[in-house]
Amino acid sequence: MKNKTMGILFASDKESHLNDLTIHRTTSSVPFGGRYRLIDFTLSNFVNANITTIGVVTRNNYNSLMDHIRMGRDWDLSRKNSGITVFPPMVFDSAHTVYKGKIEALYMLRGYMMEASEDYVVIANANIAYNIDFDEVEKFHIAKGADITVLTYSTDDVNPRKLIVSTDKNDRIKDMRFPVASDSGKQVCDLNIYFIKKDLLISLVDNAYAHGAYDFEKDIIQAQLQDLYIMNYELKDYVAVIDRISSYFKCSMDLLNPEVRESLFYKHSPILTKVKDTVPARYKEGADVKNSIIADGCVIDGTVENSILFRSVKVGKGAVIRNSIIMEDSIIMDGATLNYTITDKDVIIQEGRTLSGYETYPMVVVKGKVI
Amino acid sequence: MNKNSKECIAMLLAGGQGTRLGVLTSDVAKPAVPFGAKYRIIDFPLSNCINSGIDTIGVLTQYRPFELHQYIGNGQPWDLDRLNGGIFVLPPFMRAKSGEWYKGTANAIYQNIDFIDNYSPEYVVILSGDHIYKMDYHDMLTEHKKNNADCTIAVLDVPLSEASRFGILNLKPGTQQIAEFEEKPKQPKSTKASMGIYIFTWEKLRQYLIDDEEDKTSENDFGKNIIPKMLGDKQRMFAYQFDGYWKDVGTISSLWEANMDILRAGKNDLNLDDDRWKIYARTNAEPPQAVTSTAKLINCLVSEGTVVKGTVKDSIISNSVTIGEGAYIEGSIVMPGAVIEDGADIRYAIIGWNAVVGKNAIIGETLPASKPGEWKIAVVGPNYTVKEGEIIAADQMVG
Repeated sequence: MKNKTMGILFASDKESHLNDLTIHRTTSSVPFGGRYRLIDFTLSNFVNANITTIGVVTRNNYNSLMDHIRMGRDWDLSRKNSGITVFPPMVFDSAHTVYKGKIEALYMLRGYMMEASEDYVVIANANIAYNIDFDEVEKFHIAKGADITVLTYSTDDVNPRKLIVSTDKNDRIKDMRFPVASDSGKQVCDLNIYFIKKDLLISLVDNAYAHGAYDFEKDIIQAQLQDLYIMNYELKDYVAVIDRISSYFKCSMDLLNPEVRESLFYKHSPILTKVKDTVPARYKEGADVKNSIIADGCVIDGTVENSILFRSVKVGKGAVIRNSIIMEDSIIMDGATLNYTITDKDVIIQEGRTLSGYETYPMVVVKGKVI
Repeated sequence: MNKNSKECIAMLLAGGQGTRLGVLTSDVAKPAVPFGAKYRIIDFPLSNCINSGIDTIGVLTQYRPFELHQYIGNGQPWDLDRLNGGIFVLPPFMRAKSGEWYKGTANAIYQNIDFIDNYSPEYVVILSGDHIYKMDYHDMLTEHKKNNADCTIAVLDVPLSEASRFGILNLKPGTQQIAEFEEKPKQPKSTKASMGIYIFTWEKLRQYLIDDEEDKTSENDFGKNIIPKMLGDKQRMFAYQFDGYWKDVGTISSLWEANMDILRAGKNDLNLDDDRWKIYARTNAEPPQAVTSTAKLINCLVSEGTVVKGTVKDSIISNSVTIGEGAYIEGSIVMPGAVIEDGADIRYAIIGWNAVVGKNAIIGETLPASKPGEWKIAVVGPNYTVKEGEIIAADQMVG
């Protein structure tokens, strides 16, 4: 089957504020769900819909992303035709600054897009965990005769950086705006995923760029609501938007719900990730694990409850981990106690230490720290 | 020198039917049988090769090869997808005038002389696809070269009482040079058992294979024909002493024991968690395992994509397995994709891949422990369904 659609993924975005978790990495390479990076979800959705020409635009700290993606083989994207291309941060003008917004970045990718044989483009931020069928989006886009299709979801987690979308009865977007104090309850919000015809995208980007605009949402989507036929495609399945530590924590804990796991991992097609040849998880005599997600390579000799353990985490005798997220290769030594704590990769919590955050404000231990 | 030449290549004998594994090998070749929650038996020799710096491997298949061929694919999981060399599946093939099945281990290599010659190797390692062990073939090759040997055979000390089950090598006193080889001797004179791992100087082996093929009385077998013949001709043959973990997993009980050995802590047991000697496997990206609030896991190994709601003790649980609420599993191996429904009771059993064990079914020994090591292993074959409430006795094999 011929590919009609290509993908452009933004590895970092100004909408996300993950603080300590993105000191060493892009938003797209934030670890999620025990063995994944956030980008795995979008990449897998792309590959599963036969979107195999994929450009990944980076901004900073992209080493961990390059290390994760390599040549794209784990997503079957290491191909002669099409495949994945990671674009290093683009130094833009004579002032040697990195691109300001998506419009500048897309303008830089003009040649890449022109060269590709696909007719449509999906533009996406990679801070979202979801499992959807992009074929359906394409069908919707064509059937509705849309110029741009905007993917949205309904959420009560409305923060000042979200864009609230309102439509007419035919799903055409009439307004797109930032939330105000009087907004309450669930709102339909922009996911920063757009489906658009390639030629149209290029001309819109050319025009915006020529006028010094750089904000894709403001200067293209919002600016064109009257002139273009911009449609709303609301996702009904589970969607995790990771834009702050609190949403990272909440969405991670959502995975303890079997329905969320079913929707996220099995609904349409498998979520692919880098294969690491880790040994299976080992539960020892002292293990007492309840309601948790455990990745391969873990060695557990203590208590783990309502928690997510990434690959190769070691939990010592008598250690107690509750309501926490422990990332790859961290070591929780004998007798240590953690509650509402996120430890980044390679953290060591020494014997007998006690750490605790709170449900609404989990404590974050930065990569590589020893406590 | 041929630009494709390799100093040393490996030939892996993977054609055996493995009849002693019963229902586990009715549809797949023995090397493709799952092991240790995420591996297949063949992952061990393949990983040993790549970790030893051998990047050209011929895998000789014959019995039920499809699963194995599919599993090996282009060799990428073992880093064996190479421009020069890599992994090659070598089933028997037709020639201009004839064509026949592999008659024996030596004949299988004989039929692939052209393949080996293509790489003009100085040495060839002969491996089998049914052993679990971690071994550095490069170290063995170094000894082979140092001894200026024609053939080096890896040996391991076994208890004298068990020596009559193995091919036993008797060495010249004070040396590693082999004086005598006895296949399953009634009165063993030494405890040095052959591990079925050989390094030959190719030029020498090549001639012996050709001669052996012409001998109509030969069974075309390394252990029965080639090795004794070379010894009789006073070729330089040496033993390579191996002290690590090694197990032939050709029987249900040895397959079960080798799996259980992973759960032991001793230093001479099978340590899979070794960054310097990784065992590679072809895996699908599956979500991490989910353990619910009704689960209890003690002393076990569990792989990805699995959901555990029941109690699991001293067991090996492979990927994509579902274990229902109130289910109890002890001392067992559950292979990939199996579904254990609520309330099932499984003790000292092997549950084949994609098998279903119905609600409240009872499998294996449920009486209080008999003496360790005296367990009889119940086996549920791959894709087999044990009905709700059904009872499978301790030594029964269904499928």
